[in-house]
Amino acid sequence: MLSIIVILPFISALFLGILYLSNPTKKRYKLYTLIGSGVPTVIAFISFGLFFKLFNGAPSLHEDLFNWIAIGDFEIPVAFTLDRLSSIMLVFISGIGALIHIYATGYMRDEEGYGKFFSYFNFFMGAMFLLILANNPIMMFIGWELVGLASYLLIGFYHQDHDNITAANKAFILNRVGDFGFIMGIALLFISLEGTAFTFDAIALNIHNIDLQTLTWIGILLFIGAMGKSAQIPLYVWLPDAMAGPTPVSALIHAATMVTAGVYMVARYSFLYVEIPQVGLFIAYIGAFSALFAAIIATYQSDIKKILAYSTMSQLGYMFIAVGLGAYSSGVFHVFTHAFFKALLFMGAGAVIIALHHEQNIFKMGGLKKQLPLVYVTMFVATLAISGIAPFAGFFSKDAILASAFASEHYLIWGIGSFTAFLTAFYMFRLLFTVFIAPASSENKLHSLPKSMTWPLVVLAIGSATAGFLGRNEAYGGENWMGHFLALPDMVIHLSHKSEYLLGGLNMLLGLSGMFLAYKMFAIKSEAPQERHFFNRLVINKFYVDTLYTRIFVQPLLLLSHLIANVIDPKLFDGIITTLSQGYLLVGRQFSRLQSGKVRLYAIQILVGISLMSYYMLFKLGVLG
Amino acid sequence: MSAHLFFLLVALLFSIGLVGVISRRNLFVVYMSVELMLSAITLLFATLSQTLNSANASVMSLLTIAIIAAEAALFLAMIIHLYRINRTLDSEQCTSLKQEAL
Amino acid sequence: MSYLLTLIIFTPLFSAIILGLIQAQTRLLRAGAIVSSLITLCLTLLVLYHFDPAGGMQMVTFLPWIESSGMHYYVGVDALSLVILLLITILMPPLYLYMFKERRKGYWYNMMLLQTGVTGAVLSLDLVLFYLFWETMLLPIFIMIGKYGNGMRQYNAMKIVLMTILGSMTMLFSILYIGYVYFETYGHWSFALSDLTTLQFNAETSIWLSAGFLFAFVIKIPLVGFHTWMAPAYGSAPTPAVVILSAIMAKLGIYGIWRFGYGLFENTLTYYAPTIILLALIGLLYYAIRAITEENLRKMFAYSSGSHLSLIALGLFLENQYAWSGSLYFIATHALASAGIFFMIGLTYKHFKTVHISELGGIAQQAPLFTFFFAFFALSIAGLPGTGGFVAELLIIIGAFKYSIYVGVFSALSVLSAMIYIFWMLQRTLFGAPNEECPSYQDLNKRELLIVVPLVILLLITGLAPSLFTPLFEPYVQETLQLITTAVGVHP
Repeated sequence: MLSIIVILPFISALFLGILYLSNPTKKRYKLYTLIGSGVPTVIAFISFGLFFKLFNGAPSLHEDLFNWIAIGDFEIPVAFTLDRLSSIMLVFISGIGALIHIYATGYMRDEEGYGKFFSYFNFFMGAMFLLILANNPIMMFIGWELVGLASYLLIGFYHQDHDNITAANKAFILNRVGDFGFIMGIALLFISLEGTAFTFDAIALNIHNIDLQTLTWIGILLFIGAMGKSAQIPLYVWLPDAMAGPTPVSALIHAATMVTAGVYMVARYSFLYVEIPQVGLFIAYIGAFSALFAAIIATYQSDIKKILAYSTMSQLGYMFIAVGLGAYSSGVFHVFTHAFFKALLFMGAGAVIIALHHEQNIFKMGGLKKQLPLVYVTMFVATLAISGIAPFAGFFSKDAILASAFASEHYLIWGIGSFTAFLTAFYMFRLLFTVFIAPASSENKLHSLPKSMTWPLVVLAIGSATAGFLGRNEAYGGENWMGHFLALPDMVIHLSHKSEYLLGGLNMLLGLSGMFLAYKMFAIKSEAPQERHFFNRLVINKFYVDTLYTRIFVQPLLLLSHLIANVIDPKLFDGIITTLSQGYLLVGRQFSRLQSGKVRLYAIQILVGISLMSYYMLFKLGVLG
Repeated sequence: MSAHLFFLLVALLFSIGLVGVISRRNLFVVYMSVELMLSAITLLFATLSQTLNSANASVMSLLTIAIIAAEAALFLAMIIHLYRINRTLDSEQCTSLKQEAL
Repeated sequence: MSYLLTLIIFTPLFSAIILGLIQAQTRLLRAGAIVSSLITLCLTLLVLYHFDPAGGMQMVTFLPWIESSGMHYYVGVDALSLVILLLITILMPPLYLYMFKERRKGYWYNMMLLQTGVTGAVLSLDLVLFYLFWETMLLPIFIMIGKYGNGMRQYNAMKIVLMTILGSMTMLFSILYIGYVYFETYGHWSFALSDLTTLQFNAETSIWLSAGFLFAFVIKIPLVGFHTWMAPAYGSAPTPAVVILSAIMAKLGIYGIWRFGYGLFENTLTYYAPTIILLALIGLLYYAIRAITEENLRKMFAYSSGSHLSLIALGLFLENQYAWSGSLYFIATHALASAGIFFMIGLTYKHFKTVHISELGGIAQQAPLFTFFFAFFALSIAGLPGTGGFVAELLIIIGAFKYSIYVGVFSALSVLSAMIYIFWMLQRTLFGAPNEECPSYQDLNKRELLIVVPLVILLLITGLAPSLFTPLFEPYVQETLQLITTAVGVHP
């Protein structure tokens, strides 16, 4: 069953791809739709079935397909494992994935490359399943790279525009920077454990054989991979640009699934990270600063998708706070709830964008509450959820993270997290109010929305409202089912119910005040941010990080390349060689003077030559003596 | 008579020939100098034949004399031909085999 | 079975001679070339079928050639040469298919001669015979570039020939000296590799002799510093020659080190290893950075080729199982991928009459199939998972980490280095708005598909199931490494 889940999307991607390439201009709407969205739906049902097996207490499922490679101790099987962690990931990825595929049949309906889109989209699903179901680091890495490729292809889907391709390149190359660390981590891990099997289970058993210093390096290197994939400081700059892709892509890949792979990876390696809490702390700080940084930028953005992109980065920061501090199941829980409301937000945004004929600036929208009531209601639910208002999903997961930050006594992280929670509520409601409540800046005739684009919103809204109950703490009347089910090596939290209520209340208060502030500022009258003073300008220009990176990395690299092309190669290396050949000619020219044509000179040369030879033979070799 | 005197004579004749080849410009004189050197070598062969009691060197010297005769005909013909072309017997003027500047 | 190898070596040459004697017309010539390439392919598959991975050197033919000087017609195949032999014979039919419309007869004769040259070099086990074939393969390349090339073709042809011959000279000297040492030791001449391996050189002689060999191979690869012939030659050469240059001939440099370097001077190469590893690491980055701003696609992938061959050389000198398997695997997969990309560049030239990036653009809109294959080959060169290049790079990186962490870190940069120029190149050639000065473009036709699809399938199979191929060379790698470790152990 597991191999079917992984392989089926690849096969359908291949089939769709061949079909599309055989005749790119032909419309085969029904066929493409049937295969493109049918396969993920089927897989979603299979995944639910498997999940409920595990839910009812079945042990992990293993499936061994064939040996991928076997060289010495480097034996890597193509094998899949469905344990509790991956089953949670599988169930929400396949479920939300199927919904977004259905949504995309509406969103992409009029696009020329409809077949190509679904080929890429299914390819992504396959790669993502490979990533989460892999039972060894190498297979996981392959999935990890392939989701990156799918992301590249889909960001650059509208390839006529150079900006989109630049964004796609940026995404892929920055991801590769992360992978540079990731692959080093894997190689180091393998070398340190050479001789034992290289699956997650085996690594977990043998992890104690590695000395602490190496383990620290491995932990950091692996996390560099996560930084790239999950858009954390300093490798985050690709994520906002990645919004160049079609909106379903942003919803599925750059919000709900692929970008959370980093968190999943850290949770997957939790057996490693519990050994090195200092690296964990580093991860938590990176997460906290990313969360805050992204939230600050989001408050000044005016592109609807970019706001959501920064909010994704910010929420990913929360997840890294959790997994960094050792609250792995809280992190995964937030991944789970976040997938619902963030996918919903993106899909709602997509619906708005389609309705307004591809307008993305929120300050050119407004008053859509009446025209798009369903979108409004569902997005309201999602906004409540992301802002951490009880009892919506985000409240429970975010609260769990902040509580563990508080309990672990890293108050700085906790403080940043709480402040970011306030900012989150502020910028999310800013978006919501500006788009739906504030008076419209211009009258628009709306594009109608197909059914396939609206009812997935409803499903996700229900999910966003209720998903949080799966992980309620004892304090809120639940039994933290999620934590018990995942059974990850979490740190133990000692908080009284009273302080938990206090923390939860504080979160609610921060969320509500953010909402209130946003209402005050944007519901009645909204206007785009102006570059008025220094801080303002800094934030609107995203702290000039892009410019900085261009200056520090891109330009020197180009300069070096030009230097090699114009100086080192022709002057130094080729210079040496041409000098040699020129010198050879020069010497030849000098010697040619001896050939003067004068017989007497030749005779002298002969005389000198014979004399020297005779001298050598007589006195050095001693021929006669 | 001691063979040493003959060797001395050979060296003397050869040196005279060598000096002639190098210092004189008239092709006839150069030719005669070359002949002188050849004769010196032939004398050497003859002397060695005597001292070593071997017929080989004698054969060699006789052969050389025959070659000198044939060569004389060829050489004289060539000098005459050269004179017809260049109108001079100065060896310094005959530089058509010179390496032209590259 | 032993006659198989001889047939494989000489079928193209004899076809060429017969076709030349009967003054064949272009159509017959074409048919003859294609048939001869298919025959060699079938014969090679037969060799593969009878090949025993654990059997060491097999299907050996040992015939006297110039008996008095100890030169023999001595050919045989083991895993190392089989991999390259397979590559040659697999690549020849698509190559001829690519040349299908070519009316200049010289192309066909040259390529047939070239095939004999490279096949012979890979299979010969007699040093003089190897040298003969090694020089033979240079001649067609010289003519292909000098006569049928473009740009400063004669200068560039001269450059590649002079530089490689300079290397060959030092190699020839080493070969002759080794033969002389053998004569001194045993009293009769022999240049057969199996005889020469029994020789023991003193340390200094060994260092100089191996330097003679290394110099030839390092120029052929080329490592950084010995590379100035590369870009001009690739830039000038017509596509069939470029494909052979990049896919086969550059690999023969690696092959030479492997076969003759490690065959004759295993402990001395360990002495050279740090230097070569350093050069290879520099080359890996140097070429990759150089490629970023290169405008000519052929030259860009010439540098790309240099970068990856540096990685292969690196793997070779790391002298451990992972790196060696990785290097050998990379030889195969990089040959497939680079052949593919050079075919695509050739097609680009055919259709747009230019290979300059600034004069291209927006091909994706007109020709989706072309775009797909172009991007596929480019990405497989960059080592995308799912293609064989990834497996090879992974193995080399693991091997590098086993050797030393620092070498590991730098070799891991290979996952990054190729990405930058390849993605920027893809953006400017394939995407964006179509370049208005470019003529409109019909997509790939059936013949062109037939050229590239087999390569794509092979690349995918090598990437998805490497375990199908690794057993072929695994015993060879282990056995040879075992020999080296004992040799180095005995003579520190």
